[in-house]
Amino acid sequence: MASSRDDFIIAIRSAFLKKSTQQKFSLLTLVFISIFIILLSSLDLRVIRYLKIGISEIVYRSSFVVSIPENFVKNTFIDIVDYTSFFKDYKKNETELKSLKSNYVSSEIILYENKELKELINDYVSSSNKILAKIIVDHDSPFLKSIIINKGSKDKIIIGTNIYDQAYLVGRVIEVNYKTSRVLLLSDLNSNIPVTIAPQNIQAIITGAGDNYGQIKYIKSGATDELTTNSIVYTSGTGAIFKSGIPIGKLKSFENNSSREYNVEFYSDFSQLKYVFAEIVSKTEVSQINEEIDEDKENNPFEAKLKILEDEIKIIEETNVKFIEENENLKNEIDDLSNKIINLNSKISSQEQEINQFDIDKEEMKFLKLNLDHGHKCRKSFFNNKGFVVGSEDYRTCVLNKGRPN
Amino acid sequence: MPSLTTKGSFSKIYSLAPIIILFISVLNEFDFNYLNLEYFSFNFPFILIFYFTLKDFKHFDYFLVFIAGLINDTVVGLPLGISSLSYTLICISTSYLRNITIRPHPIKDWFFFLFVISLINSISYSVLTLFFSYTLILENYLINNFFTFLFYIVFLNIFKYYLKGVND
Repeated sequence: MASSRDDFIIAIRSAFLKKSTQQKFSLLTLVFISIFIILLSSLDLRVIRYLKIGISEIVYRSSFVVSIPENFVKNTFIDIVDYTSFFKDYKKNETELKSLKSNYVSSEIILYENKELKELINDYVSSSNKILAKIIVDHDSPFLKSIIINKGSKDKIIIGTNIYDQAYLVGRVIEVNYKTSRVLLLSDLNSNIPVTIAPQNIQAIITGAGDNYGQIKYIKSGATDELTTNSIVYTSGTGAIFKSGIPIGKLKSFENNSSREYNVEFYSDFSQLKYVFAEIVSKTEVSQINEEIDEDKENNPFEAKLKILEDEIKIIEETNVKFIEENENLKNEIDDLSNKIINLNSKISSQEQEINQFDIDKEEMKFLKLNLDHGHKCRKSFFNNKGFVVGSEDYRTCVLNKGRPN
Repeated sequence: MPSLTTKGSFSKIYSLAPIIILFISVLNEFDFNYLNLEYFSFNFPFILIFYFTLKDFKHFDYFLVFIAGLINDTVVGLPLGISSLSYTLICISTSYLRNITIRPHPIKDWFFFLFVISLINSISYSVLTLFFSYTLILENYLINNFFTFLFYIVFLNIFKYYLKGVND
């Protein structure tokens, strides 16, 4: 018994300490170094942070280079899949584009209004600038959903910067290096997003599910009954983690143990991202702007009032232009429809004429058929002096009645 | 003479192939995730490290394995040192298995591999959830563990041919 225990201890000791001639370090040393690094990375020391940034910069670039062949295969595979559904997608996009064009004008006006109202309620005016970033590493890991982009602190990216795919939110920056950053996608389990569900106006928190959809985590009890499929989910701006009013996805219902539950289907397909937009926000205190305005006002109050009026006129003019454009479009549409109606009317009248002619022909055919059989009964002749003259109305009535009544 | 030099450098690169593949796989996250096969994932570095350290392959340096772990952590976005610790623990387990085994058998190695990767994934899951407050799906780890275990026997045969080629 003691001997087997000794053997075990010897084997373990040998495994930990023995190093062959080729090995530079014993495994025990490497274990200690690993644990030491784990402890250091849990402490947020500045030296470690810079060291980590340095390593990340090199590793992300190397990873990008090494991934080129795999990305080529991956993109080819995706392209082939895309080509197979190309025509169907085109038709779908065409209809979507038409409806979007009609919504565009009204949303422009709403944007103006929204901007004005936001400036009124916030104590700062935020001006944002979206910069295009390329995704250099996207391994679609089953454990952590994150991507690496080629913009970093050099491009004024900070932790928490919102990342978009077109107008849709895809995630936020969680690690910033000098020329690269890591973005935590909304689909990650560790991602929590305060949202508003419209049109019910319900506040909730959405978490990633590790897949291409989100789960409703915190919601007011009873509010779930009010939810409907295709309700729109957008950021509420609570907690100032994400800007408010950014579209995320729409609700999809599913059955779970005979109860109806909802998931959030993201607008953006995270597995197909190639480029994203990073929103660089710069905030200007409203008080500073007000001070500047006040100074101007003090200098010349009449001019300041005039300026405000000019601004108002400008906004009204811009709105009018939009309305005129919309009216013009509607007029054109009405003209088109009127032309269509005229065309249809003429078509209907020609068809009516054809139908009438057909009825007459049918009547004539019937008369001719009966004339062959019963004409001799109605025709006036030497033997039939009670008959009628051929071609007269009485003759026709007689033939149609299959002879004279007895 | 130049042909000899070419042959020499080729054989050197050939003998270093496992460690080069290890680095490529950690930088590239060698997988088939883009196929979107539900639940499918496996850990290729675990298989590679286990096999070559078990066979005590002379060009498979523990320190380089440790560095590969650091790179993997950076690429995946895990806290630095987690994968290094996992890889080093694989090296320790294979070293132990070598010490206690007189007559090696692939099936025994295979099941020992299952035990080792289960242990390592458990440690990694516990450290990430308990100390770093990560939210992870245990199911994904179990599936990854299972597929890694299955794929070991596939790669075992490929690696066997490679070792035969090196020895020849």
